[in-house]
Amino acid sequence: MAILTQLTRTQAPRWLVLRKRLFSSFRRHAVTRSMASDPAAAAAEATRFDFLVIGGGSGGLAGARRAAELGAATAVIESHKLGGTCVNVGCVPKKVMWNAAVHAEYLHDHSDYGFDVGNVRFSWETLKAKRDAYVTHLNRIYRNNLDKAKIQTIQGYARFTDDPEPTVEVNGRKYTAPHILIATGGQPSVLSEDEVPGARLGITSDGFFELETLPKRSVIVGAGYIAVEMAGILSTLGSKTSLIIRQTGVLRNFDAFISTNCTKELQNTGIDLWKNSQVKSVSKTDKGLEVTIVTKDPEKKNDEEKTSVIQEVDCLLWAIGRLPNTSGLNIGSMGLDTDEKGHIIVDEFQNTSRSGIYAVGDVCGKALLTPVAIAAGRKLAHRLFEGKKDSKLDYSGIPTVVFSHPPIGTVGLTEEEAIKARGKENIKIYKTSFTPMYHAITSRKSQCIMKLVCEGKEEKVVGLHMQGLGCDEMLQGFAVAIKMGATKADFDKTVAIHPTSSEEFVTMR
Amino acid sequence: MAALCRGRHRWKRTHCLRVFTRNLTAKYDYDLVVIGGGSGGLACSKEAAQLGQKVAVLDYVEPSAKGTKWGLGGTCVNVGCIPKKLMHQAALLGTAVKDAKKYGWQISGTVCHDWPTMAEAIQNHVRSLNWGHRVQLQDKKVKYLNIKGSLLDEHTVKGLTKAGKETVLTAKNIVIATGGRPKYPTNIPGAMEHGVTSDDIFWLKKSPGKTLVVGASYVALECAGFLTGIGLDTTVMVRSIALRGFDQYFLSCLKANILFWFMEQMAGLVTDYMEAYGTKFAWKCVPKRVDKLSSGALQVTWTNTQTGAEQKDTYDSLLWAVGRAPETKALGLDKLGIQLNKETGKLIVGADESTSVPNIYAFGDISEGRPELTPTAIKAGKLLARRLAGQSTELMDYDNVATTVFTPLEYGCVGLSEEEAEKRHGKDGIEIYHAFYKPLEFTVAERDASQCYIKVVCERGGDQKILGLHFTGPNAGEVTQGFAMGFQCGATYSHLLQTVGIHPTCAEEVVKVSITKRSGLDATVTGC
Repeated sequence: MAILTQLTRTQAPRWLVLRKRLFSSFRRHAVTRSMASDPAAAAAEATRFDFLVIGGGSGGLAGARRAAELGAATAVIESHKLGGTCVNVGCVPKKVMWNAAVHAEYLHDHSDYGFDVGNVRFSWETLKAKRDAYVTHLNRIYRNNLDKAKIQTIQGYARFTDDPEPTVEVNGRKYTAPHILIATGGQPSVLSEDEVPGARLGITSDGFFELETLPKRSVIVGAGYIAVEMAGILSTLGSKTSLIIRQTGVLRNFDAFISTNCTKELQNTGIDLWKNSQVKSVSKTDKGLEVTIVTKDPEKKNDEEKTSVIQEVDCLLWAIGRLPNTSGLNIGSMGLDTDEKGHIIVDEFQNTSRSGIYAVGDVCGKALLTPVAIAAGRKLAHRLFEGKKDSKLDYSGIPTVVFSHPPIGTVGLTEEEAIKARGKENIKIYKTSFTPMYHAITSRKSQCIMKLVCEGKEEKVVGLHMQGLGCDEMLQGFAVAIKMGATKADFDKTVAIHPTSSEEFVTMR
Repeated sequence: MAALCRGRHRWKRTHCLRVFTRNLTAKYDYDLVVIGGGSGGLACSKEAAQLGQKVAVLDYVEPSAKGTKWGLGGTCVNVGCIPKKLMHQAALLGTAVKDAKKYGWQISGTVCHDWPTMAEAIQNHVRSLNWGHRVQLQDKKVKYLNIKGSLLDEHTVKGLTKAGKETVLTAKNIVIATGGRPKYPTNIPGAMEHGVTSDDIFWLKKSPGKTLVVGASYVALECAGFLTGIGLDTTVMVRSIALRGFDQYFLSCLKANILFWFMEQMAGLVTDYMEAYGTKFAWKCVPKRVDKLSSGALQVTWTNTQTGAEQKDTYDSLLWAVGRAPETKALGLDKLGIQLNKETGKLIVGADESTSVPNIYAFGDISEGRPELTPTAIKAGKLLARRLAGQSTELMDYDNVATTVFTPLEYGCVGLSEEEAEKRHGKDGIEIYHAFYKPLEFTVAERDASQCYIKVVCERGGDQKILGLHFTGPNAGEVTQGFAMGFQCGATYSHLLQTVGIHPTCAEEVVKVSITKRSGLDATVTGC
């Protein structure tokens, strides 16, 4: 096997040269080889492109479009709907649901601001129909964008063949290119029936977007940002929601300041939080699901494990992590290195261990964010088709927002990470918390908390963490400044915009 | 333990300082007397006191022409930023109810708004802030005097209580921070008798009803915006001939040099949006007279400057937002020969906020050429206090001040407008990146987003340093602050590109701008 890989590696470039000579005048068009008399005969009848992208999600589409702009004959293979996770079962429909939930909060505040809104009833059905229509509209935009860019869309599942030159097969047809990008993304992990009997009775975030009605009783399992967002949306829209977490706090890889506060906010907003708990089994009754939960506080060694049952659950949602979509790809035979979870290992230039094959986005398991995949895909296109040798994405200082209630914004290092990297004596922390002015006259309250992690004598800001009303829109600009290497003094020098919440960052003491 | 040591050390230092300064200034009652308890005055006096100075702050609110009065804290807290933003929030909620229906809420019956509920809640909040300021002054050992201050000489201030009792205070340094008040037009019969200003609007006990707002200042637009948003029939009357004049008019009203920002295009977007959301505009019209009818309604007569035609209509309220004037009348400035700008009536100050008379300083809305903004006054006040206490020589940097107008579609900006950048760098010296984007929250709500716009003005050569950044859209205030900081650090266009976006937000559109105005390409953002 290793020898085979070796062989194809040395062959591929020769092929490339030949192809280029033969078809240079057809660069913008895919060309089908008629007959194979070539050494690489195995790739016979493969449709040939300059750039072949597997996966029509954020990263794949961005890479494909940029490559096409730069003159590469490009095709995108997609098995499902264009737009990938973000558009279909991620950021976009999620944020629509979050916006809907924010309206629920506003409706709560209306009377405090003098509005008499009368009787209010929420129709999940109306919202879902409009959300689906919007997503379909986006799918169409993506399709049009590809067509406009003369990128061929190939519908179906891609599988690498055993041809010496990297080639994929979709619905029995072969496609090849000197540059193949894997951008197949990921999917929610599920537990097996062996691990938790009845686990299959639950849904994942994918299933959340298929729900036709608002569940009356929801149980969310997980402590990551997806669990937090799903629990927040369901609870705010009126579902009685329990959140089952294995330890004592949510978002444990976030700064402890945020983790603690978010855990508290979840409880404040009426979510029934089960700490130190795990789902043991799930069963179905006439009235819905019965979720059996075991709880044990590891601090209290002598305590017995406690078993409880939540009854009449109509939505059990597993949000316990995500896995890369690589299973059908046959990447094993391509000799691509993967990590223990199956993520494709890439270098800083998105190169996999096999030359001519690249990967971006969630399938690599690093910074699972749409804009990251988009940026990485574009940078790669510039490197491959514009000769920009150094074009790569800098993975440091990536800002991210969690659409919790209220939202969380974070960029850079947590306090813990900073201390670990630079030592406690080199780290200075600034913190503040306040009630945003919006809540000055509302009976519903939420705090805004902010933290700066500064490093060294010059107090370079290496981390910024916040949770509160408006934090989602606050972060981007600060992320630019932090990327530029802003110091605490730069924050202090900036004149505030009054009255906002974000001004607290530039008036911190 | 470490914290304790540091604390003790600090106490020692301030204590020594206090003794030291006291000895030097013993011949005066105070080290510093601040006239004016607004944002700037309070910040300055508290900072000075913390540095060990003996400080008094004089605050006295002359009731408005309509008799409205308020407590400590100045314009921002009582009749400016704070109540304005809260009423803006109320208006946003008014729009949110309509959006909520699109988001699946079935709301039976009509939504109505009760002014007294909102106004009382806001007024109570303002009173709690007044109280908070009192407590802070006490905590920081600043002497608070509810008296009207005027200058006797460069070290002496005379204070007059409401009852007419006189107090004389001497100080090493005197700071004037009395701010400004809204103006009334002088040549329109009935204007003052029947009209109110922004000094009154937030303190009205009952709804202003159908309202005519006269003026094209941001105050006019903000007030008209929130009145419309809570469901009132609102008209803005603007004198200017066209939007171009709108800028000019606005500038002539405020005369502050950062106000390049209300540039033609951005102002147009803001008013277009307002029009789309129900605010009426009477362009090119000048009010002529105001009469109170027997029904109690106000009849306003105006001239259309273009056609020359005279028109009239009746309103429940008339709000003048035709600019602000510095509050100098009672200060006795002429006696001391303090130099004023004859046109604006503001005090002429140096970079260190010094007036033409030694030991007397002025900053905030009262001083010439300064932005009329709370945060600049606060910052300038603190820096002045530090300099007067001999703790620092740092001057206030009035450049790069970001600001946001809280019109229904918020507008935030920092740096130069396109026009000003063009003036300074030439048309070929600048590159404009722009984008018309659609906030995700507008999609399901089926709202028109044609005014949601981003413009980044850059130098054309080199690293493409950012000269100005403009953003209209939801949460512009929150969006702009961080970018203002990047701007302060000298951000370039490539810095924007290097920053990964946050999806899906409006703010990410700023780091995604890629279409240049020069290219003439469609700047509408499609997809993610």
